[in-house]
Amino acid sequence: MAGVARAYEIASVERGEVLRYLGHSGQKIVPELDARIDEVVARCLAAARPRGVTRVFDVARRGRRDGRPVIELAGTALALEGSSIARHLDGAVAVGVLAVTAGMGVDLELRRLSLTDRVAEVVFDAAGSALVERAADAAEADIVAEAAARGLYTGSRFSPGYGDLPLATQPVLLSSLDAQRALGITLSATLLMSPTKSVTAVVGLFEEPRERAYVACDECLSRDFCKIRPTGSTCRDLTGATG
Amino acid sequence: MSTNAHTDLLRAALAGEALLLFDGAMGTELQARGLAAGELPELLCLTHPEVVTEVHAAYVAAGADVVTTNTFGANADKLGDAASVEEVFAAAVACARAARPRYVAADIGPTGQLLAPMGPLAFDDAYELFARQVRAAAAAGADLVVVETMADLAEAKAAVLAARENADLPVLVTMTFQEDGRTFLGTTPEVAALTLSSLGADAVGVNCSLGPDEVAPLVERMLPWASCPVMVQANAGLPHVVDGATVFDVDPGAYAEAVAGMLDAGVTITGGCCGTTPAHIAAERALLDARRPAPRPRRDRFAVAGPQRLVSLAPGQVGVIGERINPTGKRRMKEALRSGNHDFVMGEAIAQEAAGAQILDVNAGLPEIDERAVMCQLVSELQGVTTLPLQIDASDPAVIEAAVRGYPGKPLINSVNGKAESLAAVVPLAARYGCSLVGLTLDETGIPDTAAGRVEIARTIVAATDAAGIPRHDVVIDCLAMAASTDQRAPRAILDAIAAVKAELPGVRTVLGVSNISFGLPFRPLLNATFLAAAFSAGLDLAIINPGSRRMMDVVDSWRVLSGEDAQARFYVEHYADRSDVAPAGAPSPAGEKNLPPSAAGLSDDPVERARELVLVGRDGPMADTMREVLLAHDALFAIDEILIPALDEVGRRFEAGTFFLPQLMASAEAAKAGFEVIRAASGRDGAPAAGKGPVVICTVRGDIHDIGKNIVRMLLENYGFDVVDLGRDVAPETVLAAVEERHAPLAGLSALMTSTVPAMAETIELLHERAPWCKVMVGGAVLTPEYARMVGADFYAKDATDAARIASTLVS
Repeated sequence: MAGVARAYEIASVERGEVLRYLGHSGQKIVPELDARIDEVVARCLAAARPRGVTRVFDVARRGRRDGRPVIELAGTALALEGSSIARHLDGAVAVGVLAVTAGMGVDLELRRLSLTDRVAEVVFDAAGSALVERAADAAEADIVAEAAARGLYTGSRFSPGYGDLPLATQPVLLSSLDAQRALGITLSATLLMSPTKSVTAVVGLFEEPRERAYVACDECLSRDFCKIRPTGSTCRDLTGATG
Repeated sequence: MSTNAHTDLLRAALAGEALLLFDGAMGTELQARGLAAGELPELLCLTHPEVVTEVHAAYVAAGADVVTTNTFGANADKLGDAASVEEVFAAAVACARAARPRYVAADIGPTGQLLAPMGPLAFDDAYELFARQVRAAAAAGADLVVVETMADLAEAKAAVLAARENADLPVLVTMTFQEDGRTFLGTTPEVAALTLSSLGADAVGVNCSLGPDEVAPLVERMLPWASCPVMVQANAGLPHVVDGATVFDVDPGAYAEAVAGMLDAGVTITGGCCGTTPAHIAAERALLDARRPAPRPRRDRFAVAGPQRLVSLAPGQVGVIGERINPTGKRRMKEALRSGNHDFVMGEAIAQEAAGAQILDVNAGLPEIDERAVMCQLVSELQGVTTLPLQIDASDPAVIEAAVRGYPGKPLINSVNGKAESLAAVVPLAARYGCSLVGLTLDETGIPDTAAGRVEIARTIVAATDAAGIPRHDVVIDCLAMAASTDQRAPRAILDAIAAVKAELPGVRTVLGVSNISFGLPFRPLLNATFLAAAFSAGLDLAIINPGSRRMMDVVDSWRVLSGEDAQARFYVEHYADRSDVAPAGAPSPAGEKNLPPSAAGLSDDPVERARELVLVGRDGPMADTMREVLLAHDALFAIDEILIPALDEVGRRFEAGTFFLPQLMASAEAAKAGFEVIRAASGRDGAPAAGKGPVVICTVRGDIHDIGKNIVRMLLENYGFDVVDLGRDVAPETVLAAVEERHAPLAGLSALMTSTVPAMAETIELLHERAPWCKVMVGGAVLTPEYARMVGADFYAKDATDAARIASTLVS
């Protein structure tokens, strides 16, 4: 129950991201639609309460369960099964776990729009998807900071349902963060999250930098939330970090 | 301790006459003893009972009157195969008893699933999960039930009802709020306190959420609206990790200090939530021992609530109930209720809210429809578009009960009357579900002509509500407006009756549907307005009117100045400073493009060409006027077959070719829809959509709540004139079959977004093919491919919405 919800300040989402979710590939956008997209994105930002919880667990053991690789973590019932996550976390000494949500306000507004304004509904839906990814970027920044404080380097996010990491990981992952209490995230019998604009993921913590995992700070999706740069360092060069 | 002393403290506490101390956190205490994150803590009652008892015993030693069982998540769904609900509650109560506390409270947390309409869990299924816990708790010998950490008012209601209907134990209920003062689902402390205490909870309050200083203002907002004791169990502030261990930042002294302030405000039941320890409880014990319950603010107000908004009237204030969601005499409304396409109803709700309605009347009384099912569906859908509380308007008690039972708020029931049969059926419903109730002054002998006759019936009704324990401020008498044209003494009798009800039945409120007064006379709005002003003067509290009528709202707004309700006439000055009688009743004329010539907006002067252009560029604003112009020279068939459908076809081609993307497709569909609306209104046809093809049954399959793709398909199919039966999202295979059979639909469309819900799609298709072999099935959705579609047995794969429309066109005529 140590899961503490953090609220994230997200003042904008990338317009290009929203368009990408809408299937935009260079089509000319008429001015009316253009203005409408801006208006709906603003409404989505207003309706959202982006929040998240993160925790870091040490890797306890790597083994096999029913013939599949499994990574067991210390102090939690959460275990990560499958060969894709085993590869992704190869060499990790600890794992950061995150759950973020844009909040039920987004779902409530989506429902209202589905009954009243279907153009706005599809745009709002895309904006919500872009927004919750921003929240995940923010949560990841928290994990990167916690890793840096321990002198560790992080890999990239990996979510249940990717590769062969089963969706069945969701219930224990969420309860290990106390995510229902902290964030209001619930699961359906088919393991879908409500609010629908929610993301869960794990991030590996490593003793050596993961060269392929880094982009320049200016291109990093977590740059707005970064806690390491203000210390005069970066997440791949922790020498200046004060921890 | 004697039995009397045992029950007396609890009884006194639930009467608000004594202070009661609960325990503190269980989860964080168990984690401190080695429980791993993500494990089911409830199972420790079976595997490590001594550890659980140790936590309870520490709280008893600290001075807690009540310990709470370690059963927060012990419902059938969360426990799964690990243990039965009955085993866990028996073990948990035994663990608690072993610590020798004064009282054992059986703890019940949320189901873990989201309830309908936003989620997949039906209200009745949530109720069943809770009912099993309550029965297990009672069988295990718990003294009371505490329902806690609720974020969804409907879920809290299900739990309270389950407790009340399955055991004879007191039930206390607390909800959890965010920094913005709302639960995750948007409920405020006022709404929670009003709704749950009206429903009969023995105490209501706040738990978890935040630290005590942040919780204090929330719980103080509850106090005036709760008719029962108010309780608080806050977190010990925020946790942080120090040397690998989690510590919370509010120490026992600071916690008790914050609790002291809440006791002063009128809270009488306290304890702690996450992060609180026996030391926190001991500090509270010392505090409580030195105090008595403080006096509390009480509100004698008519008040009702939707899930996110409380509406109340202090004596002397007047309210507006919107009357438009009622099929009587309204062709479009009838058509909407019959067809199941409720867009029009939702539009009326939004328009009435914007016009100043404070409560919405909802009536689904049409002989040819299933009133109960439609009423429940409307109540659910309306929550999606408006925050206004609802007035459930039905004569059949079964319809009323179905609608109010799961309503997340405190509704107004319309209505009971003076007939013995009605009183016996409806008054108990209002009492059991904690609703306000409209009472009509008519009985077996009809509507009395005189004021005295009406007051007599009001007396009978109020005697029945008094006896049922319904507070006077929840009773609203309707003295029934009758036509002045038939009897010119009628208006005086109604006004006198209103005044007499207010004077002779203190505390009772009045309501009136005004427009009957003018029946049979010309220029009815003027008579209605004059009569409304007179009725306000006689003491009317609530007017059932069309808030879209400017003249009626003028009376309401001006009366509020004269009565002093609109303090310093602020609202009036703000909204009427620029009004004059030169343009009295119309809405302000819309500025902008409407007044420009079409050419100025880059559009053709020829209305036929312009209608086509509007679809292609996706502008619905000017479409209505354009289509009206088209219809001056052409018939409806031409407008559909020569303009709108070809334009939509062209949009579809552009979308497929990738020159349009999704929002453009949708905007075009919206523009076409605006055109169809005009054609339909002009052709004056009831029922069938413009081109009358179909029916096509569509839905998102069971387990899937992502319905955007399905909504897009619906919009396009409707545009092409199909009669679309949209069953919504998370729909069971049997429901799809029933709809296909009922309408003998030749085509069903199923969507699924997630891999995990594709099996439900396969199951639905199998059922349809077996039992409704005439029906072809098309499927679509993010995870589907043509191969996958074949694998699940679908007849057609639709790669997008235009593809779905093409498939439907080839199959259905």
